[in-house]
Amino acid sequence: MPAAAPGVEAGRGAPPPLLWACAALGGGVLLHADRVPAWTAFLALALILWRLASAQRGRWAPGLALRALLALALVVLVLARFRTLNGLAAGTTLLILMAGLKLLETRTRRDYYVLVGTALFLLLAACLDRQGLMRVPLYALEAWVCCAALAVIGAQGLAPRAALALAGRALLLAAPLAALLFVFFPRLPGAFWAIPRDQQALTGLADSMTPGSILRLVTSYDTAFRVRFAAAAPPPPERYWRGPVLHDFDGRTWRRAPVAFQLRPPLRFLGPAYRYHVWLEPSRQHWWLALDTPAHSPDLHAQLTDDYELIADEPVVQGLTFEALSYTHTSAAAPLAAGARRQDTALPPGSNPRTAALAASLRQRSASDAELVQAALEYLRRGGFVYSLEPPPLGANAVDDFLFQTREGFCGHYASAFVALMRAAGIPARVVTGYLGGEWNPVARFFVIRQSDAHAWAEVWLEGRGWTRVDPTAVVAPERLRRGILDLLPQGLSVSERLIHGAPWLAYLLQRWDAANDWWSEHVLQFDYGAQLDLLARLGISAPDARHLGWAFMLALLGWLALITWHVGRGGRPPRPDALARAYARLCRKLARIAPPRAPHQGPLSLAAVIAAHRPEVAPAARALLERYAQLRYGPPQGAGHARAVAEFRRAVAQLALRGA
Amino acid sequence: MHRRQGDDRLPVVLERRRLYILPTRAGAAFGALLFLMLVAGLNYANSLALFLTFLLAAFVLVVMQLCHRNLLGVQVQSLRAAPLFAGSPGVLRVWLGNEAGTARLGLEAALEGTPRVAADVAAGARACLDVPLAAARRGRVRIARVRLSTAHPFGLFRVWTWVHAPLEVWVYPRPLGRLPMPVYGELQSGRQAHLAAGADEWSGLRPFRDGDSPRAVDWKAYAREAPLLVKEYTAGGAELRLFDFAALRLGDTEARLCQLARWVVDAEAQGERYGLLLPSLRLEPDRGPEHRHRCLAALAAFGLGPGG
Repeated sequence: MPAAAPGVEAGRGAPPPLLWACAALGGGVLLHADRVPAWTAFLALALILWRLASAQRGRWAPGLALRALLALALVVLVLARFRTLNGLAAGTTLLILMAGLKLLETRTRRDYYVLVGTALFLLLAACLDRQGLMRVPLYALEAWVCCAALAVIGAQGLAPRAALALAGRALLLAAPLAALLFVFFPRLPGAFWAIPRDQQALTGLADSMTPGSILRLVTSYDTAFRVRFAAAAPPPPERYWRGPVLHDFDGRTWRRAPVAFQLRPPLRFLGPAYRYHVWLEPSRQHWWLALDTPAHSPDLHAQLTDDYELIADEPVVQGLTFEALSYTHTSAAAPLAAGARRQDTALPPGSNPRTAALAASLRQRSASDAELVQAALEYLRRGGFVYSLEPPPLGANAVDDFLFQTREGFCGHYASAFVALMRAAGIPARVVTGYLGGEWNPVARFFVIRQSDAHAWAEVWLEGRGWTRVDPTAVVAPERLRRGILDLLPQGLSVSERLIHGAPWLAYLLQRWDAANDWWSEHVLQFDYGAQLDLLARLGISAPDARHLGWAFMLALLGWLALITWHVGRGGRPPRPDALARAYARLCRKLARIAPPRAPHQGPLSLAAVIAAHRPEVAPAARALLERYAQLRYGPPQGAGHARAVAEFRRAVAQLALRGA
Repeated sequence: MHRRQGDDRLPVVLERRRLYILPTRAGAAFGALLFLMLVAGLNYANSLALFLTFLLAAFVLVVMQLCHRNLLGVQVQSLRAAPLFAGSPGVLRVWLGNEAGTARLGLEAALEGTPRVAADVAAGARACLDVPLAAARRGRVRIARVRLSTAHPFGLFRVWTWVHAPLEVWVYPRPLGRLPMPVYGELQSGRQAHLAAGADEWSGLRPFRDGDSPRAVDWKAYAREAPLLVKEYTAGGAELRLFDFAALRLGDTEARLCQLARWVVDAEAQGERYGLLLPSLRLEPDRGPEHRHRCLAALAAFGLGPGG
């Protein structure tokens, strides 16, 4: 771009395009700062500062060899950290680092464009990564800064305020079309290529449990999922949301059973059916959470296992929604298979001897399995057990230690110990992990289930009833069924969360926010091909398909283009002439009634000559006015008296009386 | 360079149907970026990413409109080019007017093959762009058309138009040569030059005429609100000179023309009266800008025929 050699750094001081490109890139890096390894963000920001400093000082610019070495080192670092360059997290990290390096060699306008393009791509990656309503303003701001940077790179010497105004105006004009495109651009139902999986797991249930592992979840205030019931919700003691069901016990850790192709045991559903809608937050895991016992799989891509867990083919990387039907009371329609009985009564040999002894004594005192369960619960109720989020550590025989020594723990400890006790007594039992309860949001009319609602309970097989839920925690801390864990043990929360929890109005605002988030999630984030077709159907098109979408898309595009052309083409109105010019124009209009109108090239004095030739009798008056105008307009400046002189001139023009020709 | 619509009669207002627009290289790259973003958004079926892509795509369309609007309605008032010497830079001055209520920034002008020069035109104002001219050989150069363009704002698109207002520019021979300046008659008679002090004598004032040098204007008188007057001098003691093409002892015609041009320039600069004698033309000794142009133009056109 030879026009005044733009983009080339001249002299000292950082050129505005560099500053803006750095701002755009820095914004892009900050959007990922809490997601990429900390050193990446620090390194990128340091590189930005380095570049700015080197522009400011006009030196410290690294040479080619150093840059090549740095590039290589950074690729190796990323590889060492992620073991791959594919995938969102690794790709983003690499992009951030390479952009920082690229920054060191920016000199021309082209380089600046490349940097802003990179910043936009980082913004896209951020959109792919997180879509919460809270982040939308951040993304909008970054898009704005990027566009302003484009403006400054495109037009040297544009003031920051002007660049922001220009970019903001263009983006505002673009927003309606963006919305139309969003609604009508035909979405594809599938993916072009397999989406690489990120190894990084989010918080959520795992397929194994040690007594303490739930603690990690319980202290997180993040939303796990939201549920809206079609009709009445189940009473609070029945709001158990089933996650992984764990069978294998090694004395300390519970795991899911190895994949067994068992038939789902047939069930008789008792009690009311609950139909509900679930919005699942991304967990990067395969679990779909459903109320206690789902009647069938809600989706082709999710399977209902023999334990009535819902497992999807793909991990939940983005928010998703499904409808389900569940029962909270069931009874088995067939006896427990021998294999399953063996599996669910197995204990590691020789472990937890005191538990085995307790089981034996309970067995002696009980007539049936059901009585034994009650006796065990009674033992927990009267045994001086305490519900605590900070239990003492357990030794090698974890169950013995817990039942007979520490007697302090939370759901994981109770479920683990209870199931071990049941198995020792010969009753088939298993640990179920999931969530309990949920917070009712009266604004959005749904339940919010947070990670802090994570829970573990037991299921025992009772002859004639089948798998029966037993929640030993409820015996120790009955209020846990009615209230969230946070009410019970607020010390597990951070200060800000405690604040939110303690102030009703804050909680109300939070519910409002949750409702907005829900709307956002349902209507914007999960807007897909099906939703597009639904919209077309609502617009009155019967049997809509992709073709209709295409037409609507074209129509919207053309309509907007016409509108924008009209709006932009209007431009600004010409500036309003000043008082003197208006008075002069009026004088010229008056004179035009008695003489040929003033030609564009005619000045006031030559107009006076024309008047003199045509109407000698009015010539003196006209000449006086025209000369006065010339003096006011072109004469030496008069300072403060000017406005008064103009006003006088205006009056004189108004009073000029001309007899028509 | 012929056009169906014929040549433009200046001033012209640039209207919609004569403007062309294409993405710049940066704009094309931006388009590629948008395509990538669209594919990623569709692949991940990610609504937010798609919205971002659509927002930027619409932004590009708005930018296109803004860029188009920046040139639309610009008034091309005049194209002027002063004569220039072969091998030295000259200037084509393009005057642009802006009658809109908003400033037009980054308007560019260029000839075919020359770099763009840019200027801003404020709302309701005019501004000029000086396009550099260069000619290697003397004669008359025809400038068939001038390209007006702008990539403002954002530099993602460039809208342009051609203004077909042909003009011819004199290219004087390059003033070269070190031979001493001959005095009138010297070349013919061989008489020794009469070397007198070259101080001019003031002979009076006359009204300003177009073409008078601003240096000759009596600015002090003008400051006293007198009309524009020009101080006249007579070269009382100065020499009369006649530069004769035929008498030059240089083999090459171009070298002779260069030497003559050198003398004309020098003589005019020294305020002397000089004439020119070419095989087909005799210009009587005189001075002043007009005379200088006549002499240099005669040298420029020498042997090139009427068509230049």
